[in-house]
Amino acid sequence: MRLDIAYRLHFTYAETVSESQNEIRVRPRDDLRQRVLSYRLTTTPATRVLQTRDYFGTTVDHLGVRGPHDDLLVVAEASVETMPAASAPAPVSCERLGDQQFANQHIEYLAPSLHVQWGDLIGEITDWAVNSVDDDVCERVLAIVRSVPTVLTYERGSTSIGVTLEELVDGGRGVCQDFAHLAVGMLRCTGIPARYVSGYLFAVDETVPDSEEESGAPTVAGDTQTADHTGVAGNEFIGEDTFVPTHTAAEPAAVSVQTHAWIEAAVPGFGWYALDPTNGGPVGERHVVIGHGRDYNDVAPVRGVFNGSADAEVDAEVIIAQPTAPVSMVTEPIRRQARVAVSPPADVSAPQQAAQQQQQQQQ
Amino acid sequence: MAELRKPDAEFPAYDEAFDRDGSVRPVYAAIVKRFSNFDTAELRRREGIIEEEFRRQGITFTVYGDSQGTERTWPMDLFPRLIAAAEWRDIERGLAQRVTALNRFLADIYTGEGAAMADGVVPEWLVRSSAGFERNAFGVSVPHDAHCVIAGIDLVRDAEGQYRVLEDNLRNPSGISYVIENRAAMTKAFPLVWEDHTVEPVSQYGRMLRTALESVAPTGSGDKPLIVILTPGIYNSAYFEHAFLAREMGVELVEGPDLVVDEHVVYLRTIEGLVPVDVIYRRIDDSFLDPVSFRPDSTLGVPGLLGAMRAGTVTVCNSVGNGVADDKAVHPYVTDLIRYYLGEEPILPNVETYVMWEPDQRDAAFERLDELVVKPVGESGGYGIVIGRDATDEELANARAEIERDPRNWVVQEVVELSTLASLSDDVLEPRHIDLRPFVITGERTQVFPGGLTRVAMRKGSLIVNSSQGGGSKDTWVLADGAASGTGQSNGPAAQGPPR
Repeated sequence: MRLDIAYRLHFTYAETVSESQNEIRVRPRDDLRQRVLSYRLTTTPATRVLQTRDYFGTTVDHLGVRGPHDDLLVVAEASVETMPAASAPAPVSCERLGDQQFANQHIEYLAPSLHVQWGDLIGEITDWAVNSVDDDVCERVLAIVRSVPTVLTYERGSTSIGVTLEELVDGGRGVCQDFAHLAVGMLRCTGIPARYVSGYLFAVDETVPDSEEESGAPTVAGDTQTADHTGVAGNEFIGEDTFVPTHTAAEPAAVSVQTHAWIEAAVPGFGWYALDPTNGGPVGERHVVIGHGRDYNDVAPVRGVFNGSADAEVDAEVIIAQPTAPVSMVTEPIRRQARVAVSPPADVSAPQQAAQQQQQQQQ
Repeated sequence: MAELRKPDAEFPAYDEAFDRDGSVRPVYAAIVKRFSNFDTAELRRREGIIEEEFRRQGITFTVYGDSQGTERTWPMDLFPRLIAAAEWRDIERGLAQRVTALNRFLADIYTGEGAAMADGVVPEWLVRSSAGFERNAFGVSVPHDAHCVIAGIDLVRDAEGQYRVLEDNLRNPSGISYVIENRAAMTKAFPLVWEDHTVEPVSQYGRMLRTALESVAPTGSGDKPLIVILTPGIYNSAYFEHAFLAREMGVELVEGPDLVVDEHVVYLRTIEGLVPVDVIYRRIDDSFLDPVSFRPDSTLGVPGLLGAMRAGTVTVCNSVGNGVADDKAVHPYVTDLIRYYLGEEPILPNVETYVMWEPDQRDAAFERLDELVVKPVGESGGYGIVIGRDATDEELANARAEIERDPRNWVVQEVVELSTLASLSDDVLEPRHIDLRPFVITGERTQVFPGGLTRVAMRKGSLIVNSSQGGGSKDTWVLADGAASGTGQSNGPAAQGPPR
């Protein structure tokens, strides 16, 4: 499926800022399932963008603007050709997970990470999820992924990055990142290596499983309305969550979304098996991968800091279109505010500052 | 006369100054003779000179959380540590060899093909599970592969007098300023002691480090690269050293906000405007370097710095991610890394260390845990260490359980009876345990700075040499070639007279 993606990130600062520095991870990656036909990133004000590849193979655009500015617009445009999902792995006994070589090879996806730490509670719900499942890694993965939507209810803006898995389960609500983090945690705690995937989903409602048979325009879900949400506590994206049609006609050709998140689990003898915990379904040609990591922190779409003001608002919006479909939509720009990982520096107390200075290890 | 006590004959440690029969080793003959002529009051007077010298210059170190005030005058014992020329040559070769291999290892991991892991010299999972393994370091290359420009290698001497590597410090080793200041204080307190010895000078450190830092400047930096030292600030325990090095090298001492990145170039803010920076000798941790890419709450770093490093417009020293190579669990593999990269036999052996994920090594260690030392990999400063011979059965059982629960996080080492050397305690000079931290500088090539910091445990029998725990230091003399101690003759390269 050919998809044109426009990722638009608009920072507006409450006061003029003197500097902002950002790392952007929004370029789809090239792999066996998808091919990037073109990619372009522009900024206003214009600045030199440095493109590098990180440890996980994700493309990073480094960009900074120095000198007074009130806003910063970053637009990334990509055309991607995607392929349908690979077939599911054949049955594999869970004993193979105990293979030392397999475990060593995936060590960083088995260990706890910044946003994926688990305790007894996660262990218990994992046991419950896999309790009546056969001795088959794939079945286990599926059972865990399908259990996530029964533990969490999808709710836009319900959480912010930084909640623990236990808090998520207690709260019972989350966005796609939370679904992915919980699935990754449950998989890891049962010894299945799992990684977090950041990308785009060409769908109106991410909670409805992607149907591979239906390859036309996405179905418009009932009431994914545009209600703006404002950021909750924390400095990071809560975004990645809302799916709003750019028009309400019966046959939309383009959808306005934000970035999506799903997971991949390592299956012995097969490789990475991709699934989408937000809807408990498969990952197919509507899923466009940006990159993967141990969790959100390794592959956050935007990381940045700015200097000179107390507050910033960030509109992050993705418009995905299928260029082959008739383009007859009304593109009303839908403004949503997602708090992004940008923060004003140095508003720390003197004791905190001193503590940081002391903390620097002099061997 | 002050009493100069010899070590007890049955004491297992190697004594630097006296052999097992109680005779003075030749290298110490002149210094022992000279010190034997001082009475206690004279030693106390000279100790006072040393203390006054450090106080006057404000040379202190910080003890965090100490109720008696956090600043203490740097403690230096007045009896120097001497190393004979031939002995030093072996140490020097061993250190250069080791640091060369460690730099190759870091380059292999971060900018190379991971050959040592692919060839099974070091397990790849071990590297990737190291707390010091920094994924942001990928794609950051360093001229001459000098990932570690300044290394501090901790050496101890076992009961046979063999030097062994206890630990590598490849991130932010500190202590070099004390080496230089100890020499200055020694010269003040004992102006005539140099008559008997020709000692390698230590005053060239600033020039040596500066040359190395210049040599790792990015290509296109010009003849006079701009070097800065990036300090966390005045509250850091080693701030004195940061300021000292800036002065010795004649470079700016800066904090994060003094630097700014514009289009992937780092600039220093000056009254004349922005000046591009070529090399940053940073003394802050990896995770604080750049709030964009690392910890967002860092107030010490420079936003956009990682982008500049990736763009190759600036070199940050020591490089990012060096912690993987001084991980305590990687330490046992370093001798094999030397063989692998250099095709040479290691000159300096490790302190024998066992890894707990190898069943054979673990079983062997468990058999005799009461004779060994158990160390947590993730801790430093002696925290969490279990010394087998002092531990209760319960403590040993706990250690076994902890190791079985998380073998990656523990190593087990043979006990090393650190060597001893006469040190002034109350009114007598008597043996105290010491170690040695030489500094190894890598630019275009790898050089070892003569001597290093000798640390001494001031409490009798104690093996704890850390200054934060009551340890002191000693001026460390590398004797020049041909300068047989006690002759007063100098045929070697070093200048006669006080070798500052």
